[in-house]
Amino acid sequence: MAATLLILSIAIPWFGALVVWLAGDARPRLQHGLAVAFSVLAGAVAVALLPFSSSQILLSIPVGGAFGDFTFAADGLGVFLAVVATVVGSLAVIFSVGYMRGEQQLGRYYALVLFFIGAMVGLVLTTNLLLIFFFWEITALCSYALISFYNDDPKAVAGGIKALIITQLGGVGLLLGALMIFSYTGSFDLRDFIAQAGNIPQTALAVMAFGFLAAAAAKSAQFPFQTWLPDAMEAPTPISALIHAATMVNAGVYLLVRFYPAFAEVPGWRTAVMLVGMLSALLTAIMAMVATDLKRALAYSTVSQLGYMVYAVGAGGLFASQFHLMSHSVFKALLFLSAGAVIHGVGTRDMRLMGGLGQKMPFTRAVFVIGALALAGLPILNGFWSKELVLEAGLVGGPLWMWVVMLVGAGLTACYTFRMVWMVFYGQPRAKLHAHEAGAAMKTALAPLAAGTLLTWLLAGPFSKLLESTLPLHALESHSTLHYLEEVALAPATLIAMVVIALGLAAWWQRARLQGLVNALSGVARAAADSFGFEAINRGIVRATQNSAENLRVTQTGLVSWNIFGIMAGLVLVLVILLLGA
Amino acid sequence: MTLNITNVAVLVVLGLFATGFYGLLAVRNLIKVVVALQILVKGAMVALVAAGNLTGQLQAAQSMALTVIVADTIVAVVALALAVQVRRCIGTLDIKALTSLKR
Repeated sequence: MAATLLILSIAIPWFGALVVWLAGDARPRLQHGLAVAFSVLAGAVAVALLPFSSSQILLSIPVGGAFGDFTFAADGLGVFLAVVATVVGSLAVIFSVGYMRGEQQLGRYYALVLFFIGAMVGLVLTTNLLLIFFFWEITALCSYALISFYNDDPKAVAGGIKALIITQLGGVGLLLGALMIFSYTGSFDLRDFIAQAGNIPQTALAVMAFGFLAAAAAKSAQFPFQTWLPDAMEAPTPISALIHAATMVNAGVYLLVRFYPAFAEVPGWRTAVMLVGMLSALLTAIMAMVATDLKRALAYSTVSQLGYMVYAVGAGGLFASQFHLMSHSVFKALLFLSAGAVIHGVGTRDMRLMGGLGQKMPFTRAVFVIGALALAGLPILNGFWSKELVLEAGLVGGPLWMWVVMLVGAGLTACYTFRMVWMVFYGQPRAKLHAHEAGAAMKTALAPLAAGTLLTWLLAGPFSKLLESTLPLHALESHSTLHYLEEVALAPATLIAMVVIALGLAAWWQRARLQGLVNALSGVARAAADSFGFEAINRGIVRATQNSAENLRVTQTGLVSWNIFGIMAGLVLVLVILLLGA
Repeated sequence: MTLNITNVAVLVVLGLFATGFYGLLAVRNLIKVVVALQILVKGAMVALVAAGNLTGQLQAAQSMALTVIVADTIVAVVALALAVQVRRCIGTLDIKALTSLKR
């Protein structure tokens, strides 16, 4: 039963992708309907898998000696992320019915979205390292193809290629780590590896640990790779909500949490993880302060919040990081989708042209403000509880100065969130925009997310129980929801954080009086608008990859004889290696 | 070097491989390339049977060889059909003319 559900949760979206694609672009209504049906079905199956979660291998497909068995397990971490992927996925698809109405090539769009959802579920449910790499790359491929969905727009194509190359760079780190693990443990099963991590030489373990950190940083758009995510905002907005806020970018955090028990003892690794998270959180929070594009501002805040999760993992707060991941998936998907409703309503992404839209779009304003309050970390929304838990974990497990920096980041978050809300929905209209309220399909997707933002913090207790009981190697402890609420409410750190957040709000409120300070910091603002120079690094990576690919074209002569020569040379090489090895 | 069945097989395999590879490297006529490929695969097949004989699993090796014959025939048929199409479209069987993907 459980094994069937597990297979179905991957197979239903993939089958749906095929069906929607075959339905043909001549029948858009059918395509919308099929996509919604398959994604909702996948969500239901993933939720049905929740009660079956255990630490045992659920499904093992033997595929011969070379690759190890293809094993799947539905432990708490995996099932939770599978539920997030399919549920947010189905809401994004429902939203797309309104958002993508009248667009061309819906088959390509929906097929890629469903293909992505299946791959994401596979990525978090498998325990075979090769399969993790395989699904990891499929998610990257779908992300690339969907960023470049409007493939007549050069910016979209460039953004897609950039995302592809940067995440592939991380994928190489993952593959290297996986192959090294195989050579040391003789197995591709990550449980074997985590159980035997102590027997692996320190240097080799350190190489794997930092290789995986690089992979996670590239996938989750963390320092120093943070610039691909803002450029990925050329994708249709439901894609930004699903792939670039709620699911795929969490894969990096997932990888770090999954392998935490193996790598925690590597000297310097935890500090490096915290440092990566802290720098990402702080730098992108500053960048969000000066962003003028609504979706880019949200993308910066996504990187920033992912930074909080990574920081929590480094500090040992695995539950805090996963809890924040849950909150963030819900409220950021809500923010992105309501931003999509705004963009769909007014036809621009430039916040400088918006303003006063609240009167014309009351529903969108209401749900956006709920999401924004959660992002800013105000009680009693889900973002408040999880962010406080992250900060608490940082105080316990990390150095004080990093904690102070993260607090500053929280203040900045509050400030830029309110700047965003104000520029879009309040004040006087700055341009003549014909705004219209979101349609029924969009509202259907937004309402559950808004309810989730208000309520998911009540799941803290059951969620921690789920993680504790199914992840024996992570040595987690679980408490009741009440315990967590008490812990957060009574901690002095919460009070300090609230004061900082209030200061952030006050700074936005009194921005006219702070004009002198703003002018003094204009240098920082310029540097932030220029992404602190990291754009240059990322652009360099992309250009180097493209140049080397261009140069390697020489080896593709197109002549069969040369290819045969290559094959023979390879054969001789293998024979020589075998002779030497024997 | 004694003239037992294994050594004969090795010699045959080496001979067929050398002929096949030489053909693939040097020949420019597409039909001859297909022939060279066939010779190469026959060498691999003899190697398979000889290896089965050595390890005492002759039946398994023979059934594998039969499978290879079937697959190999299909390859030859498809390759020749492609050759016909190439001749019709490009007007020549010279494989040096088959570089249009490069451009």
